Amino acid sequence: MSEPHGKKSLGERFVSWVNGDGETKDRTLFVMECRMPRPPCRREEEHRKLEKRRVKKFLGWYPLAAGLICVALVAILVSVVLAMPLFGHPDNPTNNEVPTYYLEHTEEDTGAVNAVTGMILTYRGFDTLGESCVLFMAVTSVMILLWQDVKNTDEHDLQKLAREEEIKRKNPDVVLQYAAKVLTPFIFLFALYILFYGEESPGGGFSGGTVLGGGLILYSCAFGFGRIHTFFNSRIFNFLRLCGLLLYAGLYGYYTFTGANGLGDPLVSAFGGLSLPIDFAVGMVVASTVYGFYAMFTRGEL
Amino acid sequence: MTVLEYILLAGLLICAITAPFFRRLLVTVIVYSTFSLMMAVLWTLLQSPDLAITEAGVGAGVSGMLFFLALKKINELKGTSDE
Amino acid sequence: MLNALLENRFAVIAVILFGIGFVNVMMQFNLLKKVVGFNIMDSAVFLFLASLGYVGGRGAPIVTEGVVDASLYINPIPSGLVLTGIVVSVSVTAFSLALIVRIYKKYGTIELDELLERVKKEED
Repeated sequence: MSEPHGKKSLGERFVSWVNGDGETKDRTLFVMECRMPRPPCRREEEHRKLEKRRVKKFLGWYPLAAGLICVALVAILVSVVLAMPLFGHPDNPTNNEVPTYYLEHTEEDTGAVNAVTGMILTYRGFDTLGESCVLFMAVTSVMILLWQDVKNTDEHDLQKLAREEEIKRKNPDVVLQYAAKVLTPFIFLFALYILFYGEESPGGGFSGGTVLGGGLILYSCAFGFGRIHTFFNSRIFNFLRLCGLLLYAGLYGYYTFTGANGLGDPLVSAFGGLSLPIDFAVGMVVASTVYGFYAMFTRGEL
Repeated sequence: MTVLEYILLAGLLICAITAPFFRRLLVTVIVYSTFSLMMAVLWTLLQSPDLAITEAGVGAGVSGMLFFLALKKINELKGTSDE
Repeated sequence: MLNALLENRFAVIAVILFGIGFVNVMMQFNLLKKVVGFNIMDSAVFLFLASLGYVGGRGAPIVTEGVVDASLYINPIPSGLVLTGIVVSVSVTAFSLALIVRIYKKYGTIELDELLERVKKEED
Protein backbone atom coordinates (compact mmCIF):
# COMPACT_ATOMS: atom_id res chain seq x y z
CA MET A 1 0.00 0.00 0.00
CA SER A 2 2.87 2.37 0.69
CA GLU A 3 4.76 1.84 -2.56
CA PRO A 4 2.05 3.18 -4.94
CA HIS A 5 1.73 6.21 -2.69
CA GLY A 6 5.46 6.75 -2.74
CA LYS A 7 5.54 6.44 -6.52
CA LYS A 8 2.95 9.25 -7.01
CA SER A 9 4.41 12.72 -7.17
CA LEU A 10 3.42 15.43 -4.72
CA GLY A 11 1.26 17.20 -7.27
CA GLU A 12 -0.66 14.04 -8.12
CA ARG A 13 -1.21 13.23 -4.47
CA PHE A 14 -2.55 16.74 -3.87
CA VAL A 15 -4.90 16.47 -6.82
CA SER A 16 -6.24 13.13 -5.68
CA TRP A 17 -6.72 14.48 -2.14
CA VAL A 18 -8.71 17.42 -3.47
CA ASN A 19 -10.85 15.10 -5.57
CA GLY A 20 -11.59 12.89 -2.55
CA ASP A 21 -10.48 9.65 -4.23
CA GLY A 22 -9.49 7.86 -1.07
CA GLU A 23 -12.56 8.77 1.00
CA THR A 24 -15.43 6.41 1.60
CA LYS A 25 -18.57 7.29 -0.27
CA ASP A 26 -20.92 9.69 1.49
CA ARG A 27 -23.71 7.57 2.89
CA THR A 28 -26.14 10.36 3.72
CA LEU A 29 -27.05 10.96 0.10
CA PHE A 30 -28.10 7.33 -0.22
CA VAL A 31 -31.13 8.13 1.94
CA MET A 32 -32.57 9.73 -1.16
CA GLU A 33 -32.65 6.30 -2.75
CA CYS A 34 -35.27 4.92 -0.39
CA ARG A 35 -37.82 7.27 -1.83
CA MET A 36 -41.11 8.07 -0.21
CA PRO A 37 -44.11 7.66 -2.47
CA ARG A 38 -45.38 10.98 -3.70
CA PRO A 39 -48.06 12.20 -1.24
CA PRO A 40 -51.44 12.78 -2.87
CA CYS A 41 -52.92 16.26 -2.82
CA ARG A 42 -54.80 16.78 0.38
CA ARG A 43 -58.52 16.73 0.23
CA GLU A 44 -60.85 19.15 1.91
CA GLU A 45 -61.66 16.93 4.94
CA GLU A 46 -58.00 16.46 5.70
CA HIS A 47 -57.49 20.20 5.61
CA ARG A 48 -60.39 20.76 7.97
CA LYS A 49 -59.14 18.09 10.37
CA LEU A 50 -55.67 19.63 10.31
CA GLU A 51 -56.99 23.09 11.04
CA LYS A 52 -59.15 21.86 13.91
CA ARG A 53 -56.14 20.13 15.43
CA ARG A 54 -54.11 23.27 15.04
CA VAL A 55 -56.71 25.53 16.65
CA LYS A 56 -56.76 23.18 19.63
CA LYS A 57 -52.98 23.39 19.83
CA PHE A 58 -53.17 27.14 19.48
CA LEU A 59 -54.14 27.63 23.10
CA GLY A 60 -51.06 25.88 24.38
CA TRP A 61 -48.35 27.77 26.17
CA TYR A 62 -46.00 28.38 23.22
CA PRO A 63 -48.36 30.32 20.95
CA LEU A 64 -49.71 32.42 23.81
CA ALA A 65 -46.22 33.28 25.02
CA ALA A 66 -45.13 34.07 21.45
CA GLY A 67 -48.13 36.35 20.93
CA LEU A 68 -47.50 38.18 24.21
CA ILE A 69 -43.83 38.68 23.40
CA CYS A 70 -44.64 40.06 19.95
CA VAL A 71 -47.26 42.48 21.26
CA ALA A 72 -44.88 43.67 23.98
CA LEU A 73 -42.09 44.13 21.44
CA VAL A 74 -44.27 46.19 19.10
CA ALA A 75 -45.52 48.33 22.01
CA ILE A 76 -41.98 49.08 23.20
CA LEU A 77 -40.81 49.90 19.68
CA VAL A 78 -43.75 52.22 18.95
CA SER A 79 -43.11 54.13 22.18
CA VAL A 80 -39.46 54.50 21.17
CA VAL A 81 -40.44 55.72 17.71
CA LEU A 82 -42.64 58.42 19.23
CA ALA A 83 -39.57 59.81 21.00
CA MET A 84 -37.49 59.95 17.84
CA PRO A 85 -36.69 63.23 16.06
CA LEU A 86 -39.22 64.25 13.44
CA PHE A 87 -39.14 62.74 9.98
CA GLY A 88 -37.56 64.84 7.25
CA HIS A 89 -36.26 67.67 9.39
CA PRO A 90 -32.97 69.20 8.26
CA ASP A 91 -31.72 69.51 11.83
CA ASN A 92 -31.80 65.80 12.57
CA PRO A 93 -28.72 64.36 14.27
CA THR A 94 -28.10 62.10 11.25
CA ASN A 95 -27.37 65.11 9.04
CA ASN A 96 -24.03 66.06 10.54
CA GLU A 97 -20.84 66.88 8.64
CA VAL A 98 -20.26 63.38 7.22
CA PRO A 99 -22.96 63.46 4.47
CA THR A 100 -21.95 67.06 3.72
CA TYR A 101 -18.37 65.94 3.12
CA TYR A 102 -19.51 63.00 0.97
CA LEU A 103 -21.79 65.13 -1.17
CA GLU A 104 -19.21 67.85 -1.73
CA HIS A 105 -16.17 65.67 -2.38
CA THR A 106 -17.59 62.66 -4.23
CA GLU A 107 -16.90 64.01 -7.68
CA GLU A 108 -13.24 64.78 -7.16
CA ASP A 109 -12.36 61.76 -5.02
CA THR A 110 -14.09 58.98 -6.90
CA GLY A 111 -15.12 60.32 -10.28
CA ALA A 112 -18.72 59.36 -9.64
CA VAL A 113 -21.52 61.89 -9.77
CA ASN A 114 -23.99 59.53 -8.10
CA ALA A 115 -23.17 60.01 -4.44
CA VAL A 116 -24.60 56.66 -3.31
CA THR A 117 -22.60 54.60 -5.83
CA GLY A 118 -19.42 56.55 -5.19
CA MET A 119 -19.86 56.15 -1.46
CA ILE A 120 -20.49 52.41 -1.34
CA LEU A 121 -17.66 51.56 -3.71
CA THR A 122 -14.87 53.78 -2.40
CA TYR A 123 -15.57 55.44 0.92
CA ARG A 124 -17.40 52.42 2.37
CA GLY A 125 -15.94 49.81 0.07
CA PHE A 126 -15.32 47.17 2.74
CA ASP A 127 -19.03 46.75 3.33
CA THR A 128 -19.61 46.08 -0.35
CA LEU A 129 -16.67 43.66 -0.44
CA GLY A 130 -18.19 41.73 2.47
CA GLU A 131 -21.52 41.67 0.71
CA SER A 132 -19.97 40.31 -2.50
CA CYS A 133 -18.47 37.57 -0.36
CA VAL A 134 -21.94 36.84 1.05
CA LEU A 135 -23.30 36.48 -2.50
CA PHE A 136 -20.44 34.15 -3.42
CA MET A 137 -21.06 32.00 -0.34
CA ALA A 138 -24.80 31.90 -1.00
CA VAL A 139 -24.32 30.42 -4.48
CA THR A 140 -21.78 27.96 -3.12
CA SER A 141 -24.13 26.77 -0.37
CA VAL A 142 -27.07 26.42 -2.77
CA MET A 143 -24.78 24.39 -5.03
CA ILE A 144 -23.85 22.13 -2.13
CA LEU A 145 -27.51 21.55 -1.28
CA LEU A 146 -29.02 21.15 -4.73
CA TRP A 147 -26.28 19.85 -7.04
CA GLN A 148 -27.44 16.81 -8.98
CA ASP A 149 -25.01 14.82 -11.03
CA VAL A 150 -24.75 11.16 -11.91
CA LYS A 151 -23.29 10.15 -8.56
CA ASN A 152 -26.16 11.22 -6.34
CA THR A 153 -29.28 10.99 -8.49
CA ASP A 154 -31.11 7.70 -8.81
CA GLU A 155 -32.32 6.23 -12.07
CA HIS A 156 -35.94 7.36 -11.68
CA ASP A 157 -35.08 11.05 -11.37
CA LEU A 158 -32.62 10.94 -14.26
CA GLN A 159 -35.23 9.40 -16.53
CA LYS A 160 -37.83 11.91 -15.43
CA LEU A 161 -35.47 14.78 -16.20
CA ALA A 162 -34.65 13.34 -19.62
CA ARG A 163 -38.35 12.90 -20.38
CA GLU A 164 -39.16 16.48 -19.40
CA GLU A 165 -36.41 17.88 -21.59
CA GLU A 166 -37.62 15.77 -24.50
CA ILE A 167 -41.15 17.10 -24.10
CA LYS A 168 -39.88 20.65 -23.89
CA ARG A 169 -37.86 20.23 -27.05
CA LYS A 170 -40.72 18.73 -29.03
CA ASN A 171 -43.38 21.29 -28.01
CA PRO A 172 -41.67 24.62 -27.52
CA ASP A 173 -43.62 27.40 -25.90
CA VAL A 174 -44.18 29.69 -28.87
CA VAL A 175 -45.35 32.76 -26.97
CA LEU A 176 -42.41 32.64 -24.59
CA GLN A 177 -39.89 32.09 -27.38
CA TYR A 178 -41.20 34.92 -29.48
CA ALA A 179 -41.29 37.31 -26.54
CA ALA A 180 -37.78 36.30 -25.52
CA LYS A 181 -36.47 36.78 -29.04
CA VAL A 182 -37.82 40.33 -29.06
CA LEU A 183 -36.97 41.32 -25.48
CA THR A 184 -33.62 39.75 -24.67
CA PRO A 185 -31.37 42.08 -26.68
CA PHE A 186 -33.01 45.11 -25.10
CA ILE A 187 -32.69 43.64 -21.63
CA PHE A 188 -28.99 42.98 -22.08
CA LEU A 189 -28.43 46.45 -23.53
CA PHE A 190 -30.34 48.07 -20.69
CA ALA A 191 -28.41 46.04 -18.12
CA LEU A 192 -25.08 47.14 -19.56
CA TYR A 193 -26.33 50.72 -19.64
CA ILE A 194 -27.29 50.65 -15.96
CA LEU A 195 -24.00 48.94 -15.10
CA PHE A 196 -21.64 51.29 -16.88
CA TYR A 197 -23.61 54.48 -16.42
CA GLY A 198 -24.11 53.90 -12.73
CA GLU A 199 -21.91 56.79 -11.79
CA GLU A 200 -23.86 59.46 -13.59
CA SER A 201 -27.39 58.23 -13.04
CA PRO A 202 -29.18 55.95 -10.61
CA GLY A 203 -28.06 52.37 -10.93
CA GLY A 204 -24.67 50.91 -10.37
CA GLY A 205 -23.37 47.43 -9.81
CA PHE A 206 -26.26 45.75 -8.03
CA SER A 207 -29.11 46.89 -10.19
CA GLY A 208 -27.17 46.28 -13.40
CA GLY A 209 -26.11 42.83 -12.28
CA THR A 210 -29.67 41.89 -11.33
CA VAL A 211 -31.09 42.96 -14.70
CA LEU A 212 -28.27 41.13 -16.50
CA GLY A 213 -29.00 37.97 -14.54
CA GLY A 214 -32.68 38.39 -15.32
CA GLY A 215 -31.92 38.58 -19.03
CA LEU A 216 -29.87 35.40 -18.83
CA ILE A 217 -32.70 33.66 -16.98
CA LEU A 218 -35.23 34.67 -19.65
CA TYR A 219 -32.99 33.38 -22.42
CA SER A 220 -32.32 30.11 -20.65
CA CYS A 221 -35.98 29.59 -19.79
CA ALA A 222 -37.22 30.19 -23.33
CA PHE A 223 -34.62 28.38 -25.38
CA GLY A 224 -33.42 25.64 -23.07
CA PHE A 225 -30.08 24.95 -21.50
CA GLY A 226 -28.51 23.62 -24.68
CA ARG A 227 -28.65 27.01 -26.38
CA ILE A 228 -27.25 28.93 -23.45
CA HIS A 229 -24.35 26.50 -23.03
CA THR A 230 -22.89 27.82 -26.27
CA PHE A 231 -21.86 31.04 -24.57
CA PHE A 232 -22.37 30.62 -20.85
CA ASN A 233 -21.40 27.20 -19.53
CA SER A 234 -20.23 26.26 -16.07
CA ARG A 235 -16.57 27.13 -16.63
CA ILE A 236 -17.39 30.68 -17.70
CA PHE A 237 -19.76 30.94 -14.74
CA ASN A 238 -17.11 29.96 -12.20
CA PHE A 239 -14.54 32.14 -13.92
CA LEU A 240 -16.84 35.19 -13.78
CA ARG A 241 -17.65 34.70 -10.12
CA LEU A 242 -14.08 34.19 -9.02
CA CYS A 243 -12.68 36.88 -11.28
CA GLY A 244 -15.19 39.46 -10.07
CA LEU A 245 -14.47 38.88 -6.41
CA LEU A 246 -10.68 38.78 -6.83
CA LEU A 247 -10.71 41.88 -9.02
CA TYR A 248 -12.67 43.78 -6.43
CA ALA A 249 -10.42 42.66 -3.58
CA GLY A 250 -7.25 43.41 -5.51
CA LEU A 251 -8.32 46.84 -6.72
CA TYR A 252 -9.69 47.95 -3.38
CA GLY A 253 -6.63 46.67 -1.53
CA TYR A 254 -4.39 48.60 -3.92
CA TYR A 255 -6.55 51.69 -3.49
CA THR A 256 -6.46 51.71 0.32
CA PHE A 257 -2.78 50.76 0.45
CA THR A 258 -1.65 53.60 -1.79
CA GLY A 259 -4.01 56.02 -0.10
CA ALA A 260 -2.88 55.15 3.40
CA ASN A 261 0.82 55.44 2.61
CA GLY A 262 0.44 58.58 0.52
CA LEU A 263 1.94 57.07 -2.64
CA GLY A 264 0.83 58.32 -6.00
CA ASP A 265 -1.67 56.14 -7.84
CA PRO A 266 -1.32 56.18 -11.61
CA LEU A 267 -4.01 53.53 -12.01
CA VAL A 268 -6.67 55.65 -10.39
CA SER A 269 -5.95 58.77 -12.41
CA ALA A 270 -5.88 56.69 -15.62
CA PHE A 271 -9.44 55.52 -15.00
CA GLY A 272 -10.59 58.82 -13.59
CA GLY A 273 -11.63 57.27 -10.33
CA LEU A 274 -11.92 53.66 -9.29
CA SER A 275 -15.70 53.29 -9.39
CA LEU A 276 -15.98 51.90 -12.90
CA PRO A 277 -13.87 48.71 -12.63
CA ILE A 278 -15.27 47.94 -9.17
CA ASP A 279 -18.80 48.46 -10.51
CA PHE A 280 -18.07 46.02 -13.29
CA ALA A 281 -16.71 43.43 -10.84
CA VAL A 282 -19.74 43.73 -8.57
CA GLY A 283 -22.06 43.46 -11.57
CA MET A 284 -20.38 40.22 -12.68
CA VAL A 285 -20.70 38.67 -9.23
CA VAL A 286 -24.38 39.63 -8.87
CA ALA A 287 -25.34 38.47 -12.38
CA SER A 288 -23.69 35.08 -11.94
CA THR A 289 -25.30 34.73 -8.50
CA VAL A 290 -28.81 35.35 -9.82
CA TYR A 291 -28.37 33.01 -12.77
CA GLY A 292 -26.78 30.40 -10.52
CA PHE A 293 -29.81 30.38 -8.23
CA TYR A 294 -32.12 29.81 -11.19
CA ALA A 295 -30.00 27.02 -12.68
CA MET A 296 -29.63 25.22 -9.35
CA PHE A 297 -33.33 25.26 -8.60
CA THR A 298 -34.44 24.22 -12.06
CA ARG A 299 -31.98 21.64 -13.11
CA GLY A 300 -29.48 20.94 -10.37
CA GLU A 301 -26.51 21.74 -12.54
CA LEU A 302 -25.23 24.65 -14.52
CA MET B 1 -47.69 63.23 -2.53
CA THR B 2 -48.61 62.60 1.07
CA VAL B 3 -51.87 61.02 -0.05
CA LEU B 4 -49.94 58.56 -2.22
CA GLU B 5 -47.67 57.78 0.71
CA TYR B 6 -50.62 57.03 2.94
CA ILE B 7 -52.24 54.81 0.34
CA LEU B 8 -49.02 52.87 -0.20
CA LEU B 9 -48.36 52.43 3.50
CA ALA B 10 -51.90 51.18 4.05
CA GLY B 11 -51.45 48.80 1.12
CA LEU B 12 -48.22 47.50 2.67
CA LEU B 13 -50.01 46.75 5.91
CA ILE B 14 -52.88 44.99 4.15
CA CYS B 15 -50.52 42.82 2.07
CA ALA B 16 -48.42 41.86 5.07
CA ILE B 17 -51.41 40.98 7.23
CA THR B 18 -53.22 38.88 4.65
CA ALA B 19 -50.26 37.13 3.01
CA PRO B 20 -49.95 34.20 5.44
CA PHE B 21 -53.66 33.45 5.58
CA PHE B 22 -54.10 31.69 2.26
CA ARG B 23 -54.21 27.96 1.94
CA ARG B 24 -52.72 27.93 -1.56
CA LEU B 25 -49.07 28.91 -1.32
CA LEU B 26 -49.19 30.35 -4.82
CA VAL B 27 -51.45 33.18 -3.61
CA THR B 28 -49.08 33.92 -0.71
CA VAL B 29 -46.19 34.35 -3.12
CA ILE B 30 -48.18 36.63 -5.41
CA VAL B 31 -49.25 38.85 -2.49
CA TYR B 32 -45.63 38.99 -1.38
CA SER B 33 -44.62 40.17 -4.85
CA THR B 34 -47.23 42.94 -4.61
CA PHE B 35 -45.77 43.93 -1.24
CA SER B 36 -42.37 44.19 -2.87
CA LEU B 37 -43.73 46.31 -5.71
CA MET B 38 -45.29 48.80 -3.28
CA MET B 39 -41.99 48.99 -1.43
CA ALA B 40 -40.26 49.86 -4.70
CA VAL B 41 -42.63 52.79 -5.31
CA LEU B 42 -42.07 53.94 -1.72
CA TRP B 43 -38.34 54.05 -2.27
CA THR B 44 -38.93 56.39 -5.22
CA LEU B 45 -41.04 58.67 -3.04
CA LEU B 46 -38.21 58.75 -0.51
CA GLN B 47 -35.91 60.09 -3.27
CA SER B 48 -33.64 57.00 -3.47
CA PRO B 49 -33.76 55.79 -7.08
CA ASP B 50 -30.98 53.20 -6.62
CA LEU B 51 -33.02 51.41 -3.99
CA ALA B 52 -36.10 51.52 -6.22
CA ILE B 53 -34.38 49.81 -9.16
CA THR B 54 -32.73 47.22 -6.94
CA GLU B 55 -35.90 46.42 -5.00
CA ALA B 56 -37.99 46.14 -8.15
CA GLY B 57 -35.46 43.80 -9.73
CA VAL B 58 -34.67 41.76 -6.67
CA GLY B 59 -37.88 41.68 -4.68
CA ALA B 60 -40.49 41.06 -7.29
CA GLY B 61 -38.12 39.58 -9.87
CA VAL B 62 -35.50 37.31 -8.40
CA SER B 63 -37.15 36.55 -5.07
CA GLY B 64 -40.54 35.87 -6.62
CA MET B 65 -38.93 33.61 -9.21
CA LEU B 66 -37.12 31.68 -6.48
CA PHE B 67 -40.36 31.15 -4.61
CA PHE B 68 -42.10 29.86 -7.74
CA LEU B 69 -39.28 27.43 -8.48
CA ALA B 70 -39.34 26.17 -4.90
CA LEU B 71 -43.12 25.71 -5.13
CA LYS B 72 -42.67 23.63 -8.26
CA LYS B 73 -40.16 21.41 -6.50
CA ILE B 74 -42.45 20.79 -3.52
CA ASN B 75 -45.44 20.06 -5.77
CA GLU B 76 -47.55 22.86 -4.35
CA LEU B 77 -48.29 24.75 -7.53
CA LYS B 78 -51.72 23.25 -8.03
CA GLY B 79 -53.31 23.48 -4.58
CA THR B 80 -55.99 21.06 -3.50
CA SER B 81 -57.15 18.40 -5.88
CA ASP B 82 -60.63 19.85 -6.07
CA GLU B 83 -59.47 22.53 -8.49
CA MET C 1 -49.27 62.13 20.35
CA LEU C 2 -51.37 61.55 17.25
CA ASN C 3 -49.39 64.31 15.56
CA ALA C 4 -46.10 62.57 16.33
CA LEU C 5 -47.56 59.30 15.03
CA LEU C 6 -48.57 60.90 11.75
CA GLU C 7 -45.26 62.73 11.39
CA ASN C 8 -43.19 59.60 11.87
CA ARG C 9 -45.52 57.44 9.79
CA PHE C 10 -42.73 55.53 8.06
CA ALA C 11 -41.11 54.45 11.29
CA VAL C 12 -44.41 53.44 12.89
CA ILE C 13 -45.47 51.36 9.89
CA ALA C 14 -42.00 49.80 9.76
CA VAL C 15 -42.28 48.75 13.39
CA ILE C 16 -45.76 47.27 12.89
CA LEU C 17 -44.55 45.34 9.84
CA PHE C 18 -41.63 44.04 11.88
CA GLY C 19 -44.07 42.78 14.49
CA ILE C 20 -46.23 41.08 11.82
CA GLY C 21 -43.21 39.39 10.28
CA PHE C 22 -42.00 38.28 13.70
CA VAL C 23 -45.37 36.74 14.56
CA ASN C 24 -45.27 34.83 11.28
CA VAL C 25 -41.80 33.49 11.86
CA MET C 26 -42.65 32.27 15.34
CA MET C 27 -46.13 30.88 14.93
CA GLN C 28 -46.62 29.65 11.37
CA PHE C 29 -46.65 25.91 10.81
CA ASN C 30 -45.76 26.04 7.14
CA LEU C 31 -42.05 26.51 6.48
CA LEU C 32 -42.59 28.56 3.33
CA LYS C 33 -44.78 31.07 5.15
CA LYS C 34 -42.04 31.38 7.74
CA VAL C 35 -39.67 32.41 4.98
CA VAL C 36 -42.19 34.98 3.72
CA GLY C 37 -42.48 36.36 7.26
CA PHE C 38 -38.72 36.61 7.46
CA ASN C 39 -38.67 38.65 4.25
CA ILE C 40 -41.38 40.96 5.59
CA MET C 41 -39.22 41.58 8.68
CA ASP C 42 -36.24 42.42 6.47
CA SER C 43 -38.23 44.87 4.36
CA ALA C 44 -39.54 46.57 7.48
CA VAL C 45 -36.02 47.19 8.78
CA PHE C 46 -34.97 48.62 5.41
CA LEU C 47 -37.97 50.96 5.36
CA PHE C 48 -37.05 52.23 8.81
CA LEU C 49 -33.40 52.78 7.90
CA ALA C 50 -34.03 54.54 4.62
CA SER C 51 -36.63 56.86 6.12
CA LEU C 52 -33.93 58.23 8.41
CA GLY C 53 -32.08 59.71 5.48
CA TYR C 54 -34.91 61.71 3.96
CA VAL C 55 -34.82 65.48 4.30
CA GLY C 56 -37.98 67.31 3.33
CA GLY C 57 -37.88 69.24 0.05
CA ARG C 58 -34.52 68.00 -1.22
CA GLY C 59 -33.77 65.84 -4.23
CA ALA C 60 -32.00 62.57 -4.98
CA PRO C 61 -28.27 62.50 -4.15
CA ILE C 62 -27.00 62.78 -7.72
CA VAL C 63 -24.73 65.79 -7.77
CA THR C 64 -25.54 67.68 -10.94
CA GLU C 65 -22.86 69.55 -12.86
CA GLY C 66 -21.24 72.24 -10.82
CA VAL C 67 -23.99 72.57 -8.23
CA VAL C 68 -21.92 71.23 -5.37
CA ASP C 69 -24.10 72.40 -2.53
CA ALA C 70 -24.84 69.81 0.09
CA SER C 71 -28.09 71.41 1.17
CA LEU C 72 -29.86 70.39 -2.04
CA TYR C 73 -29.61 66.65 -1.63
CA ILE C 74 -30.78 64.09 0.87
CA ASN C 75 -28.46 62.10 3.08
CA PRO C 76 -26.90 59.33 0.95
CA ILE C 77 -25.57 57.13 3.75
CA PRO C 78 -28.70 55.19 4.84
CA SER C 79 -29.45 54.54 1.18
CA GLY C 80 -26.10 52.80 0.77
CA LEU C 81 -26.63 50.67 3.86
CA VAL C 82 -30.02 49.49 2.67
CA LEU C 83 -28.62 48.61 -0.77
CA THR C 84 -26.31 46.07 0.83
CA GLY C 85 -29.13 44.78 2.98
CA ILE C 86 -31.53 44.08 0.11
CA VAL C 87 -29.02 41.85 -1.64
CA VAL C 88 -28.14 39.97 1.55
CA SER C 89 -31.85 39.41 2.17
CA VAL C 90 -32.31 37.70 -1.18
CA SER C 91 -29.28 35.49 -0.54
CA VAL C 92 -30.72 34.30 2.77
CA THR C 93 -34.08 33.64 1.11
CA ALA C 94 -32.45 31.55 -1.61
CA PHE C 95 -30.55 29.48 0.94
CA SER C 96 -33.63 28.81 3.09
CA LEU C 97 -35.63 27.79 0.02
CA ALA C 98 -32.90 25.34 -0.96
CA LEU C 99 -33.09 23.87 2.55
CA ILE C 100 -36.87 23.57 2.26
CA VAL C 101 -36.54 21.70 -1.05
CA ARG C 102 -34.14 19.21 0.52
CA ILE C 103 -36.37 18.73 3.57
CA TYR C 104 -39.29 17.99 1.28
CA LYS C 105 -37.28 15.45 -0.69
CA LYS C 106 -36.34 13.59 2.45
CA TYR C 107 -39.53 13.75 4.54
CA GLY C 108 -42.30 14.49 2.09
CA THR C 109 -43.88 17.39 3.93
CA ILE C 110 -43.15 20.94 4.93
CA GLU C 111 -45.70 21.39 7.68
CA LEU C 112 -43.90 21.63 10.97
CA ASP C 113 -46.06 19.34 13.13
CA GLU C 114 -46.07 16.49 10.60
CA LEU C 115 -42.37 17.00 10.03
CA LEU C 116 -41.55 16.63 13.72
CA GLU C 117 -43.70 13.50 13.94
CA ARG C 118 -41.89 11.92 11.00
CA VAL C 119 -38.49 12.79 12.40
CA LYS C 120 -39.41 11.25 15.75
CA LYS C 121 -40.71 8.14 14.00
CA GLU C 122 -37.48 7.85 12.06
CA GLU C 123 -35.38 8.09 15.17
CA ASP C 124 -37.18 5.15 16.80
